[in-house]
Amino acid sequence: MAPRTDSTSTGSAMSETSVESSIDPLFHILRTIPFSFLRPPRLRLKLPSFTLPSPMTVFSLILLTYFLVISGFIYDVIVEPPGIGSTQDPVTGAIRPVVFMSGRVNGQYIIEGLSSGFMFVMGGVGIIMLDLALDKNRAKSVKASYATAGVSSIVIGYVMSMLFIRIKIPGYLH
Amino acid sequence: MGAKKASPDLLNSSFSFKSLKLKTKQQELLLRVSILGLVYVLAFIARLFSVLRYESMIHEFDPYFNYRTTLFLTEKGFYEFWNWFDSESWYPLGRIIGGTLYPGLMVTAALIYWTLRFLRFFVHIREVCVLTAPFFASNTTIVAYFFGKEIWDTGAGLVAAALIAICPGYISRSVAGSYDNEAVAIFALLLTFYLFVKAVKTGSLSWALGSAFGYFYMVSAWGGYVFIINLVPLYVLVLLITGRYSMRLYVAYNCMYILGMLLAMQIRFVGFQHVQSGEHMGAMGVFLLMQVFYFLDWVKYQLNDTKLFQTFLRITVTSAILVGGIALGVGTASGYISPWTGRFYSLLDPTYAKDHIPIIASVSEHQPTAWSSFMFDYHILLFLFPAGLYFCFKRLSDATIFIVMYGLTSLYFAGVMVRLILVATPAVCLISAIAVSATVKNLTSLLRTKQKVPQTGSTKGVGSSKSSSKVTLDQSQPFQKNGAIALLVGVFYLLSRYAIHCTWVTSEAYSSPSIVLAARGAHGNRIIFDDYREAYYWLRQNTPTDAKVMSWWDYGYQITAMGNRTVIVDNNTWNNTHIATVGRAMSSYEDEAYDIMRSLDVNYVLVVFGGVTGYSSDDINKFLWMVRIGGGVYPVIKEPDYLVNGEFRVDKGASPKMLNCLMYKLCYYRFGELVTEYGKPTGYDRARGVEIGNKDIKLEHLEEAYTTSNWIVRIYRVKPPTNRL
Repeated sequence: MAPRTDSTSTGSAMSETSVESSIDPLFHILRTIPFSFLRPPRLRLKLPSFTLPSPMTVFSLILLTYFLVISGFIYDVIVEPPGIGSTQDPVTGAIRPVVFMSGRVNGQYIIEGLSSGFMFVMGGVGIIMLDLALDKNRAKSVKASYATAGVSSIVIGYVMSMLFIRIKIPGYLH
Repeated sequence: MGAKKASPDLLNSSFSFKSLKLKTKQQELLLRVSILGLVYVLAFIARLFSVLRYESMIHEFDPYFNYRTTLFLTEKGFYEFWNWFDSESWYPLGRIIGGTLYPGLMVTAALIYWTLRFLRFFVHIREVCVLTAPFFASNTTIVAYFFGKEIWDTGAGLVAAALIAICPGYISRSVAGSYDNEAVAIFALLLTFYLFVKAVKTGSLSWALGSAFGYFYMVSAWGGYVFIINLVPLYVLVLLITGRYSMRLYVAYNCMYILGMLLAMQIRFVGFQHVQSGEHMGAMGVFLLMQVFYFLDWVKYQLNDTKLFQTFLRITVTSAILVGGIALGVGTASGYISPWTGRFYSLLDPTYAKDHIPIIASVSEHQPTAWSSFMFDYHILLFLFPAGLYFCFKRLSDATIFIVMYGLTSLYFAGVMVRLILVATPAVCLISAIAVSATVKNLTSLLRTKQKVPQTGSTKGVGSSKSSSKVTLDQSQPFQKNGAIALLVGVFYLLSRYAIHCTWVTSEAYSSPSIVLAARGAHGNRIIFDDYREAYYWLRQNTPTDAKVMSWWDYGYQITAMGNRTVIVDNNTWNNTHIATVGRAMSSYEDEAYDIMRSLDVNYVLVVFGGVTGYSSDDINKFLWMVRIGGGVYPVIKEPDYLVNGEFRVDKGASPKMLNCLMYKLCYYRFGELVTEYGKPTGYDRARGVEIGNKDIKLEHLEEAYTTSNWIVRIYRVKPPTNRL
């Protein structure tokens, strides 16, 4: 707050009348020293009012949380597996990376979890795009591109998920 | 319609093809009823794999306790059951069974049994117990249909019923033989939620009453009722925040909360927890908040002055929050309101159990979930879930907000604990059903509406511009129609893959009674290992009736139910010190263990050993948990003593404490003389894949009583002390 170089005469006139009514010494000190040349500005403080976000904003946040949960993020935090596993090649002795933790259904490495979660979300978003493609109020070319993007997302997501699960569980569907 | 004129001598006038043609409404009703009937039957028979492969028996560990209590209930009556003190488990402490179990499952099975007997079907109670779970799964599909109808429309309801009938997440805990609380609890959960949503939608007192009784059934059935008593207030809170407060919500929540709370206090195990436990305080807080809302509404109506009302609003809300906070603080500080129990606290803070409570952390069902478990249990539904959420957000109403909240909270908890995938399954199935129903509706509307356009185009022949525009539409029509048909075929393909996946998973993974093990022999034939029941029946027939058996807590329920002998610890795990004493005995040298066993009056010791068959869930693999739990109470037992360089070994390089502890001796006694695999030395442990370190084992205070045919269960007799000279 910049000190206001104000006419002190009016200030002192005001302070003289209130000086007679109060007997508090601190009050007088505070009145005379800073407020003789400082005038507090008129503020308009309002309590912050919060508006509810739109449904689609909430939905995108929820989609992000869904992606985290479905990738096994909580498993990663608690069990702390490595990002990617490794085995040693018995013949050459070289260290080879292993992407999918094999042997158990309920175990994963971090990267395999995230990539699988991404495939699931992609499939879901594909279905959403299909619905957007059938909305009547858009231009035809936009609808067509939404439809192709949607169908390709679903197909890619499904095929990749099936591939992942076949790698992970060797006896799948046999 | 042309058949009437074809051959009049063949057709009577009373019976013509025209009378068979139903109106559209009747056709729809017939279709719906037949689909629901087929889904009902499907849900039942999909769960019968193990009954057909093995026999009608109870699976796993916990169901044996439930079976024993149901047997007691049918034999002795309800009052004996309600006041039962069992001296056959947790020797010498005993267990107040009447006050420490959830009676819903037992009472339900007993009622079905008594009804069947009344109708003169004299079935054994075991058959009723085995088939209770599939029966209630079928009922759940019907409730799911009605719930889907409430949230979206009848199409979504039908799809939801079909999805939930075969979803592996639900089948895993409700297969025939899995006589556990969840079999009935999921039905009660979905029923309560459906009745509550119906109550909020209609605002009628009778639906709210129904939901209170549904909640009472849930409280009597499963400890997971805490989920309901926290989700419903959270839902009410979200409705209040989004400005959907209404009289309907007020009536529904108040009736359900008060009546539900009073009814829940009738269950002895729950007792006064609804007013004393921290987990139930959220519901009470929201209840008081609803009263504040109602009060403010009434004051607003009385005042007719907005400015005055605003000030009044601010004062009331501040004071209400202050008073509530102070009351909660005083209650928690004085100890009247108990804090969240470890089981539920570990859901909010998943790292808590790992550091503080080893018993909770050791159960394999309590581990967090990896992506493959989700995929295994849900398959296609993982794609449909976000799409379903999108459709729910497009058409927000009280009912869709509820299902979204149920889905999200339950999916989060399913991520924390594998076992809770079961609770998330109904929500995931319902939301996925919305996605399927909405997508199929969109596609079929594409197929149907375009048919009308050429008709109007052909009748209006005027105006060349109009005809040319219709021509361009005609050109794109077949493309869109073909595209819609192709997409529908794709949807059908995906759903059929889901059905194939579910059947495969049910058949391979979830239909094994853990008490009977199966393996593939050398020629691909199936070999059955029935060692557990062999050992329990040996105990039943060859030991004195007051013999006490010490084993690890996993097998307690089965020993009491099938072996009919007193055990020291069992799966209830209510007394950690007692379990730690057993763990200490198992991990000490034979002399110290003998002292502990004498102090507990133990006559027989039972261990499970998988070295001959390669069975990996045996006591040697569980041994470190015994050490950890024992070490948690008795600092004498130190985990590093049993490890070598942080590694758990049983071969020559194992630590000397490991090679001489009681568990090692009991498991590997006489094993050093046995050849287990061709080409390997004697004493080769097939479960660990190593040759054992200490082959020459001598037992001083115990003697071998029985070893089953595949060496899986081994029973030892504790010798009485030698005479002092």
